[in-house]
Amino acid sequence: MLVLAFYSEMKNLGGRDMIQLHRIKKAFHTGSGKQDILRSVDLHVNTGEYVAIMGKSGSGKSTLLNILGALDSADSGEYVLAGKPVHKMRQAKRTGLRNNEIGFVFQQFQLIPNLSVYQNVLLPLTYGRKKLGRKKARVMQLLEEVGLADKRKQKPARLSGGEKQRAAIARALVNEPSILLADEPTGSLDETTTETILQLFDRVHQQGTTIVVITHDQEVANRAQRVIHLRNGVLV
Amino acid sequence: MRIGNALKLACFGLWANKFRVLSAMMGIVIGLFAVIVLISIAVGVKDTLLKQMGSLGAEQILVMPGRVLDTANGEKDFLSGITSVPSTLTYDDAKAVEAVPHVKTVTPQLETVSKAAYGEQNVQAVLVGSTHQYSRVQHAALAEGRFFTDEEQQSKEKVVVLGSNIHDALLGKTAQPQPGSTGAPAAEERAWWQRALDSFMAGTVVSAQETTLIGQKLTIGEHTYTVIGVLEPNATLGSSTDNNIVMPIETALASTDMKYLNKMIVEADSTDVIDEVDGAVFSAIKQNHKEIDFSVVKQDQMLGAIDNVTTILQVMLLGITAVALLISGTGIMNVMVMSVRERTREIGVRKAIGATTFEIMAQFFFETLLLCLIGGLVGIGLGYGFIELWNHYIDAFTLTLPLWAVKLALGSTMVIGGLFGIYPALKAARMKPSHALRFE
Repeated sequence: MLVLAFYSEMKNLGGRDMIQLHRIKKAFHTGSGKQDILRSVDLHVNTGEYVAIMGKSGSGKSTLLNILGALDSADSGEYVLAGKPVHKMRQAKRTGLRNNEIGFVFQQFQLIPNLSVYQNVLLPLTYGRKKLGRKKARVMQLLEEVGLADKRKQKPARLSGGEKQRAAIARALVNEPSILLADEPTGSLDETTTETILQLFDRVHQQGTTIVVITHDQEVANRAQRVIHLRNGVLV
Repeated sequence: MRIGNALKLACFGLWANKFRVLSAMMGIVIGLFAVIVLISIAVGVKDTLLKQMGSLGAEQILVMPGRVLDTANGEKDFLSGITSVPSTLTYDDAKAVEAVPHVKTVTPQLETVSKAAYGEQNVQAVLVGSTHQYSRVQHAALAEGRFFTDEEQQSKEKVVVLGSNIHDALLGKTAQPQPGSTGAPAAEERAWWQRALDSFMAGTVVSAQETTLIGQKLTIGEHTYTVIGVLEPNATLGSSTDNNIVMPIETALASTDMKYLNKMIVEADSTDVIDEVDGAVFSAIKQNHKEIDFSVVKQDQMLGAIDNVTTILQVMLLGITAVALLISGTGIMNVMVMSVRERTREIGVRKAIGATTFEIMAQFFFETLLLCLIGGLVGIGLGYGFIELWNHYIDAFTLTLPLWAVKLALGSTMVIGGLFGIYPALKAARMKPSHALRFE
């Protein structure tokens, strides 16, 4: 908990907009022609805010998350993350941004099956540019905080759904990101496990981490401070 | 970018997919095993031939029937073959060569195939008529007895020295060495009653207990010869003396129908005068011949010809192994491409959490390179083991593994790994993280 507390202190020092999206547009070319996914998205998320983005299937939620996570780029518009103009960044800079500023939590956990829980959590530090000392100690502290210290040597296949997602959250936080992006984080979990994960999100948020959750589950959205709806490629 | 980090991740990647790695590695293991073994065969054959021909000695000249054509630059073209004409070389030619200045010795050889009989044993042998220099020039050491002397040669004594196979066959120890022979079965293969009959018929019949023919008489054609020596086994490619029966040349001329020399080995005083002697020997023989139907060949010309032949052999083997390696390289590339496809989501995750395009490329490139390197080392190790076993158990010829072959094999694995690792690595590196994460 000490690590997360120190981490939240650092986050609160900013006090500015964490995310600024301005007139973001994105279209995909399909067999039937051009399909507009995001028409003109404007979004402001403050540092330390907990935001849920809701929308039906095909509303463009995942596309928006990919843009927020610098996994994909918008066709037009401006995107500023923690004061950095992402829309102007080249691929290499975006990669560095993902590693330093963003933590990802996916619906399907996306743990690497051949690596142990410990190795999965360590992975962002392996690619990281940060000079983080005592990497092993940091990974172990996070695993203890998510309650997986005793399962650190196990492969993801031997974990339950909730354990997998807790491991994924530990991996998302290991590099001290500015923002946690979660794409349907409880979509593959039962009610009890969902509650455990949402409590973990609450704890992370209380410690000052900005969280953006994409979900179609009202219960998950209710835990956020602000709920935004995405309809036909526009936030309402 | 930290190369060490990419290498470490590649090791992790290989370890995590060890069963796929093993199956992918098989191609390169077999390919490298083939490279090592085939090169060692080519080099072994070459070494054996060179050793054999090298036994001619740098100061020796070979005179043989037929004419070796000259190439455009005046060298002997052994590859085009020797014109096949019946030998017209005679013992008189050999005597003429003896008179050439700086000629130390001349060892003429008559050769034919004949049947030799001892008791009930009847074998086919290569009958050789030569001088007392034969054992030295042919490096044919004596196992027992002695070689005939110059005096015995001059006085046309009917004495013979047997090759080891002939000696054993006449004693009934082994099966007939030459095909088509009427030799009796080996003593060990005989029925008990045959062996008992043999033991009762001492003198004219070979006894199973007999261990040597020294001092015994055997029949060749219409004449009887006394065995005075037995040669040691001399198993070399092409010119083994094991199936020979050697007798003085004067005896052979007098008691057989052999007339023309099969070859003549001329020994010069030293290598300094070898070119001079070469020309003089040619001139001396030419005086007795209306046309040039013989060849005078120095050791270096012979070695050059062998070198040409073995080089062709090596190039051919290298071609075959190159194809084998190309196939195994393609196999590895396919496995790696499949691996990249299977690990698409993993690549997406790695990119999402901060792996650069170069890091992903380096990881997959090193995975292929390491896979090839490990496979290559295993292949080389197996090849080395095969060579050791061959040399331990098989006497036909020695396999030789030169260091350059190991370097070549290792180099080719690295090249294969490098070449065939690029495509899967690029394929992995070019993936868009957002697409890779959605891959089903």
